[in-house]
Amino acid sequence: MKHSGVTKFSIQNLLGPIIILILLTHFVGGASTSLQLITQSALCLFVMVLALQVFVGNSGVLSFGHGAFALIGSYVSAMLTAPVNIKDNALAMNQLWEPLISPQVNIYVALVISAAVSALVAAITGVFLMRLNGLAAGIATFALLGVAYNVFFNNKKIGPGSQALPGVPLIENNWILLLLAVISIIIVYFINISKIGRTLRATREDAMAAPALGISIFKVRLIAFILSGAIAGLAGGMYSHVAGTFQVQDYYLEFTFITLSMLIVGGSASIWGALVGTFTITAIGQVLLMMEQDLPVFGIQVQIPLGSRAVIIALTFVVVLLWRSGGITNGKEFRIPKLKRKS
Amino acid sequence: MVQSILDAISLGGLYSLAALGLGLVFGVMRLVNFAHAELITIAAYTLVLTAQFPLALSLIFTVLVTVFVALLMEFSVYRRLRGVNPAVMLIASFGLSIVLQRVYELMFGALPRSAAVAPFLRGDFKVAGLSITISSVITIVLTITILLAMGYLVEKTSLGLQLRAASADFKTARLLGVRSNRLISAAFGLSGVLAACVALILVIQNPQISPYYGLNITILSLVGIVIGGIASLRGAALGGFIVGVVLSSLNTLLGNGRVYAYSWLFILVLVILLVRPGGLLSKGSELERV
Repeated sequence: MKHSGVTKFSIQNLLGPIIILILLTHFVGGASTSLQLITQSALCLFVMVLALQVFVGNSGVLSFGHGAFALIGSYVSAMLTAPVNIKDNALAMNQLWEPLISPQVNIYVALVISAAVSALVAAITGVFLMRLNGLAAGIATFALLGVAYNVFFNNKKIGPGSQALPGVPLIENNWILLLLAVISIIIVYFINISKIGRTLRATREDAMAAPALGISIFKVRLIAFILSGAIAGLAGGMYSHVAGTFQVQDYYLEFTFITLSMLIVGGSASIWGALVGTFTITAIGQVLLMMEQDLPVFGIQVQIPLGSRAVIIALTFVVVLLWRSGGITNGKEFRIPKLKRKS
Repeated sequence: MVQSILDAISLGGLYSLAALGLGLVFGVMRLVNFAHAELITIAAYTLVLTAQFPLALSLIFTVLVTVFVALLMEFSVYRRLRGVNPAVMLIASFGLSIVLQRVYELMFGALPRSAAVAPFLRGDFKVAGLSITISSVITIVLTITILLAMGYLVEKTSLGLQLRAASADFKTARLLGVRSNRLISAAFGLSGVLAACVALILVIQNPQISPYYGLNITILSLVGIVIGGIASLRGAALGGFIVGVVLSSLNTLLGNGRVYAYSWLFILVLVILLVRPGGLLSKGSELERV
């Protein structure tokens, strides 16, 4: 993880992941209906992993709180777009607070609002959380996730509580999701090479020396936290329009672990790492799922016992960390491979 | 009222045992071992599956199995990750935790397993007209015994001295002749023993064992070691105790609002961390990259 991260603008670093993403969406996403669904949810997860990359990758501080931002983003976008009669029904069943029923906006306006609301929550909580350091910071962000989950799960006045809110309008077009993901890549790339990104990595490398150079750790971390909170909110919003529902349980421990592990397995210091991590873990999961269901994978039929899929995914993850603790890409950005390799 | 106070103390004691197990491992290798939850779970499974044997035999067997799993974790995964970024180790321990959960699910099924472990410890008795549950008293007695034993081990024995030295400064401790591999194995072994004790107390109260049995208490104890002060074992035990007492009190005091007990607990944790970022027992601020 050390000494990595780009500082200078390089067109291949930026275009590489975008082109790979376009190719993946085109060839994999267009292959069949089931692959299309997987590609769509992978694109949402990728945006989420990008959000984590901005904060966790650059600052070196683990955040479990981004699940809360995705939860809030998903909630806002779902509540703003779900048909009024469904919310009305939810009112009859669950005592939903009345002013929440009528608002209705366009999906894309809803996505922007969900990113903004998540950014606002990140700003308010970040003022407190970013004062902390080290492990305390990680656990404190966990407290944020815990509070968000606890409140949304139990409070039926503000949302569907432990039930799912159905009828959230779908974004069926792969290319729109792809466009959102590409916009996220561009934003994250420019954050990473900006002064904020560079100073943040300086605080990651040496938390003693950075303040001595006049960097306010609190300030740079807070800015990054807000920006990455906004992107996580967008990812949550996108996911609600891919799944067609909003459910609190979707954004708790499992979601947090999966997205963090995608980041770490790919290599937390780069956008390329976020892309490789997200799609490697999604692909492994999918291939194993097909093996479990006794479907042929690339023409080869291998059957594995039911339930062993999750074990293998988690094991792969541990093995990758044992093999390369910096992740598959070792935190490097995308480069066109050269034929002649130095050392 | 008396029962509520006893419940609070017994829950606090239970959490301090779990926190101590986590704190021991954290002290020697800066690893937040999330898979501690799975040590508690395997101990609980072993207790339930050996319930037909005499209690003493079942207990010995449980401790052996749990220590074995703890050492297996250390040899197969953590030993290879020595010296990498603590954030990577934490994530690896999540991975290990998920692996073990799924393995338990394959071995024991997803549905809860249950059996009456030490049934004579359930029910209640009357003192001066107050009815008090036996399990809360037993928990307190057990916890105090184990904490005293741990206190003796850490304060008076050579192993304890090495553990404290390694917690304070691992590099210097090594230079002074502490054998790191042996010490880390010992810390894992001890955390296994503590996990078995926690499981015993938990199983007496709730004998429905699922693959996620140890998760809740481990997360809350993690919060505990952070507010107590991660650098010291005393801090870990104190922090765990506080979390247990606060949670139990909140459950009593909030009445119908008890579903929000976790929220209040987490908010309290944030407040404590803001006032004392290094934990309650910290001495000054220390920068650490995790």
